[in-house]
Amino acid sequence: MQLTISNLLPVYFEKSHTQTSEVWGKEIVWQKGELIKIVAPSGSGKSSLINFLYGMRKDFDGAIRYDQQDVRNMNPEQLAPLRKDHVSIVFQDLRLFPHQTVAENLEIKRQLNPFHSPEKVLEMTERLGIGTKMNSLAKTCSYGEQQRVAIIRALLQPFDFLLLDEPFSHLDDRNSQNAMQLILEEAKARNASIVLADLERIEFFPYTRLFHL
Amino acid sequence: MAVSFKPIQPLLQTGTNAASRWFSYIGLGVGVLLLLCSIQMFINIQQLLKEGSIRKNGFDYISITKSVTNETMGQPEKNLFSQAELDELKAQPFIEDVSPLLPNDFRVKLSAGSVLAFSTDMFLETLDNDFIDTLPPSFTWQEGQYNIPIILSSDFFEIYNVFAPGQGLPQISRETAMGIPVQIICEGNGLTETFTGKIVAFSDRVNSVLVPKNFLLWSNKTFGKGANVQASRVFVKTKDANNTELLKFVDQKNYKLNKDKTLLGRNKMVIQGIFSGLGIFGLLVVLLALMLFSFYLQLVIARSKDSLQLLLTLGYSPSWLSRNVARIFVPVYIVVVIAALAFTQLMQWSFHHFVMYDREELSTPLHWVTLLTAVVLIVLSIITNHRLVRSLLNKLHTN
Repeated sequence: MQLTISNLLPVYFEKSHTQTSEVWGKEIVWQKGELIKIVAPSGSGKSSLINFLYGMRKDFDGAIRYDQQDVRNMNPEQLAPLRKDHVSIVFQDLRLFPHQTVAENLEIKRQLNPFHSPEKVLEMTERLGIGTKMNSLAKTCSYGEQQRVAIIRALLQPFDFLLLDEPFSHLDDRNSQNAMQLILEEAKARNASIVLADLERIEFFPYTRLFHL
Repeated sequence: MAVSFKPIQPLLQTGTNAASRWFSYIGLGVGVLLLLCSIQMFINIQQLLKEGSIRKNGFDYISITKSVTNETMGQPEKNLFSQAELDELKAQPFIEDVSPLLPNDFRVKLSAGSVLAFSTDMFLETLDNDFIDTLPPSFTWQEGQYNIPIILSSDFFEIYNVFAPGQGLPQISRETAMGIPVQIICEGNGLTETFTGKIVAFSDRVNSVLVPKNFLLWSNKTFGKGANVQASRVFVKTKDANNTELLKFVDQKNYKLNKDKTLLGRNKMVIQGIFSGLGIFGLLVVLLALMLFSFYLQLVIARSKDSLQLLLTLGYSPSWLSRNVARIFVPVYIVVVIAALAFTQLMQWSFHHFVMYDREELSTPLHWVTLLTAVVLIVLSIITNHRLVRSLLNKLHTN
């Protein structure tokens, strides 16, 4: 699968954004297996871009295509299999079910299209240091813990593209690197592409392509 | 591996506003109960009054005679209906059809033969088949046939059973009477012929001894005086026996109307009207309950909006989700309708046993139409429920 972005610009952005940006208003093709780093200062439209790529919002000009499929023309019924089988995401605002336990949050995602066994899930949580939190309600976990749950949740399905929106904003360096390592392994196992958007350059992400938004 | 709804279910806040939920369940139950009971009672009445029904095809059938007064006594032409008078009757807009009750024009004797020591002079009449309330297929005759089917007035039969003991005759049941062949002796023009008569039905409408029309025409020709036979009674078929125009016309002509025979038909109409009204009321209650339930459902989905949206974001398909959300309520619908059905069955049993004393025309098990209605209600509520959830979820997605 390849991801094509053509002349993309949020409808609420000035045309002048296309002059400075390496993404807005450009023609870009991302292939499976590429590690893409997007450096995006506040207000440059980082979360908008991730939302557009995931089909959450359609208030943009231009086109986003997964292979030949235009995201703009996909109805909710068609978006479901794309999200279940091909594109996974870690939101900046995490989006967990606050009243479910960590284990329940993970299982709700895992059962949709299981890539890992429940035992493997447990192993992943232990690796990121939240193994003991499995039976805690998500809302009682710290932001850092919730962020790690959101990361693991994104790794439980098959995907060709993994969209990461400030995935380590609540984590210290050690935990961030730990998580990055897991993400890289999982992406490699699927020969998938990672699209990581963050405020500044993250040194421990071995990107193959770099864009300034 | 199929996706399980079990981890999803707790995300729906169904526990909220339990009172509204229970009200809608109870409302649905009461509405369905009313509807099913009305349908069953409607059918009961239909079955009970099937035999005694005077109204046939939605028409009233009533007999008209001329009033015999001191002035007209002894002048048969004044007490009989002429062809012109029949035509006049037929021409009235409130009268659909007219059939004169033609009598025999010769002497008829009836004897029970060797079965009973009973013999009497009697009369025979005939009426168009369309006017007879209980018309069995065996009510036909062909020339040369010695068996004559008879339709006897229920009233006459009752009178026989009243006077029989005093005459030393046995009282007999309808079934027995229908099994006994009687001898009908026709005399006239120097001829005597004996036919075998057999009661094939009893009529509540016509107070007479009816034989097939072609038999009476033939016998009047064979044994009669040859004069044109005129009827003293006429049956009219009308949409409404209580039509004021009809009553005015009858009064004006100084005719006499036998109206009490239409009462049963009228009562049946009124009772069926009441139960139709009750059924419609029940249907309204069902609709109201379903509306209340849809409000509850909207509330549940509104309260669970964040969770449902997140599920769609994670890749759950809207159709899978709506199917499964709707499915939560299916057992509720089934339980409610089955409970109402059980109550209806209880009602039917009590009605049959305590009110109708196990009469044979009715059955204790519910009529299939009632059962079918229950099934249709279940299917209908499941479909509307599913559609509602789907449309609510679709709205959620586009928000």
